[in-house]
Amino acid sequence: MTNKIKSILIANRGEIALRVIRACKELDIKSIAVYSDEDTRSVHVKRADEAYHIGQAAASDSYLNMTKIIDLSNQVGAEAIHPGYGFLSENENFAELCEKNNIIFIGPKSKAMDMTGDKMKCKAIMKKAKVPTVPGSDGVVDNIEKAADIAHSAGYPVLLKSAFGGGGRGIRFANDEKQLRQEFEMASAESKAAFGKAALFVEKYLQKIRHIEFQLVRDSHGNSRHLFERECSIQRRHQKLIEMSPSPVVDEKTRENIGKIAVRAVEAVDYLNAGTAEFLRDESGNFYFIEINSRLQVEHPVTELVTGGIDLVKLQIAIAQGEEIPFQQQDLKMHGCAIECRINAEDPFYDFAPSVGPVPNCNLPYGPGIRVDTYLYPGCLVSGFYDSLVAKLIAWGTDFEEARIRTRNALAEFSIEGINTTIPLHKTIIEEMNFIKGDLSTDYLDRFNLLDKMHEKAKNRLQKNSPAAVAAMLLQAEYIKKGSSSSSTAAASSGTSSDNRRHAGWNRPYTTRRAINAI
Amino acid sequence: MQFKIEDLETLLSGEIVRSTTEGSLLINLDGKEQILRILKFATNEFEFILGHSFHHAKILSSSSSETKMIIDGEPLTIKKHSKLTEVLKKSISSTGAGTAENNLTSQIPGRIVSIMAKPGSSVKKGDPVVVLESMKMQVAVKAHKDGIIKEVRTNEGASIARHDLIAVIE
Repeated sequence: MTNKIKSILIANRGEIALRVIRACKELDIKSIAVYSDEDTRSVHVKRADEAYHIGQAAASDSYLNMTKIIDLSNQVGAEAIHPGYGFLSENENFAELCEKNNIIFIGPKSKAMDMTGDKMKCKAIMKKAKVPTVPGSDGVVDNIEKAADIAHSAGYPVLLKSAFGGGGRGIRFANDEKQLRQEFEMASAESKAAFGKAALFVEKYLQKIRHIEFQLVRDSHGNSRHLFERECSIQRRHQKLIEMSPSPVVDEKTRENIGKIAVRAVEAVDYLNAGTAEFLRDESGNFYFIEINSRLQVEHPVTELVTGGIDLVKLQIAIAQGEEIPFQQQDLKMHGCAIECRINAEDPFYDFAPSVGPVPNCNLPYGPGIRVDTYLYPGCLVSGFYDSLVAKLIAWGTDFEEARIRTRNALAEFSIEGINTTIPLHKTIIEEMNFIKGDLSTDYLDRFNLLDKMHEKAKNRLQKNSPAAVAAMLLQAEYIKKGSSSSSTAAASSGTSSDNRRHAGWNRPYTTRRAINAI
Repeated sequence: MQFKIEDLETLLSGEIVRSTTEGSLLINLDGKEQILRILKFATNEFEFILGHSFHHAKILSSSSSETKMIIDGEPLTIKKHSKLTEVLKKSISSTGAGTAENNLTSQIPGRIVSIMAKPGSSVKKGDPVVVLESMKMQVAVKAHKDGIIKEVRTNEGASIARHDLIAVIE
């Protein structure tokens, strides 16, 4: 039933669209890009074999517009759609729409996505498959006696979570039964007032947890493989910042054990193609399954580098066209260490406020073991309409230390003009003692005051750069003096005032826009 | 001439002693004479070797009192420091306050989620005036100065572009 795919429509933008286009080119598959008004000059439009405009800047009009994307695919004869990550990648309705239109959706079937997309449904399936989940209730708990029983068997402290909350809202903490009784009453009253019924879950509160996930692939012949773990504990508000493999706390035996469990998890939902099983690991080394991400992950390059170069996008395409996974589990060997830093267009010195605008210039790092996946180029635009990820810096080394030093040096080479990015925070983490020791947890940034350390480091760099800055001032004065016979003084000053706008990122733009020169 | 780097306490002195060979200057940095070899000498962009290290400077904006630049990939603000600057600064800020822009504009495009300061209310510099959503994040657009909100020029739910007027603060 293998039938080679000849054309793929990429329903995404940015670096991931570019990543898929590159895989298509290697496989001699026609790549078809789509773009919004905002992305007319984006790099994925330039690199694809064909590019089609699909709507206005707002994602709901373009990259999230299922009808438009399906219609276009039919119209241009795209045999398959690669959804990338984000946007429609985990939308089971979209996968179903593809199935109905005889377009290959490069990902799992809508039926599997329906199971992985619903956390409680998924948890119930995993429990049946003997995949360890976070201890707590299987579903909604409607009375306090039941809640107290569950809390007792899971062990305190516990969390009470509202079924209708999300993103940290509606979560209450209880240290003992007395507190649980108080909180339960308040939480159910709240829930009743807002939604007409009390819908609460009880879950064990895990302390100093690490986020460790396993990359998985499964083909249509039922072969499943895990491609080792990635540790993604360094996060800010549940957003991953740094990912690495191997995890400093996963040894060969643990990898094998948890890898087997992860395989069981994807088999339980009859998964197809690449996916990720996410686990929390507590301080005593217990792993608890939390969810399956049914897509290619942002951090997939980490796995590509430590598996000795398995191309996950090419593998996705091979699986989508009915091929068998071309390797056995025992063929895979952990190969060195890889670290990925997510470079986001956010100002870490200003509460991570988004920073958008034109990038007049940028310098990307190169060198042994360095890979940069990005949509940046000199003159490109970082748009406020989409995700803030602008680049991924991935460094490979024979061991953690080599990968870390390469990351450090590459960060020093990396410069992006016009916008503020998370680079200064990465520079701080990569040299921070506890990061080097591997003492990671999801509250790492707070636990070790990384933001304070970042400010300190930035000050040191200012100190170091001061003499050169003074020299530049002398040169500028000299330049103006030399040009004063002509009109270049005026030209220089008018040139800089228009530069103010172009270098918006400089100017803490999200607070106010003032003329830079006003005192 | 003395210079002050923003966020650092110390002052640095620097001056050109003389030009030596073609493309080189002898400069004095904090009492130490050094050779500065110019590699690029263009409007707002300089490359040079100071001591034995290469440096790249891009001037982003420059006024009589303050220059913003990217030096070796890092942003930095530097001020010429003199008694005269201090005096000038005082006189300008006392007389120039009324001429400062009243318009609060947004530097980022986004959708207005909520309006925090209603017309007629008084705000302090830094108070949130509206909250907008951009890059899937919520961001406050904050007052650029103390004053009274004269008018709010946007609505909840409205999409705004870069540089769009949000409010007038007097």
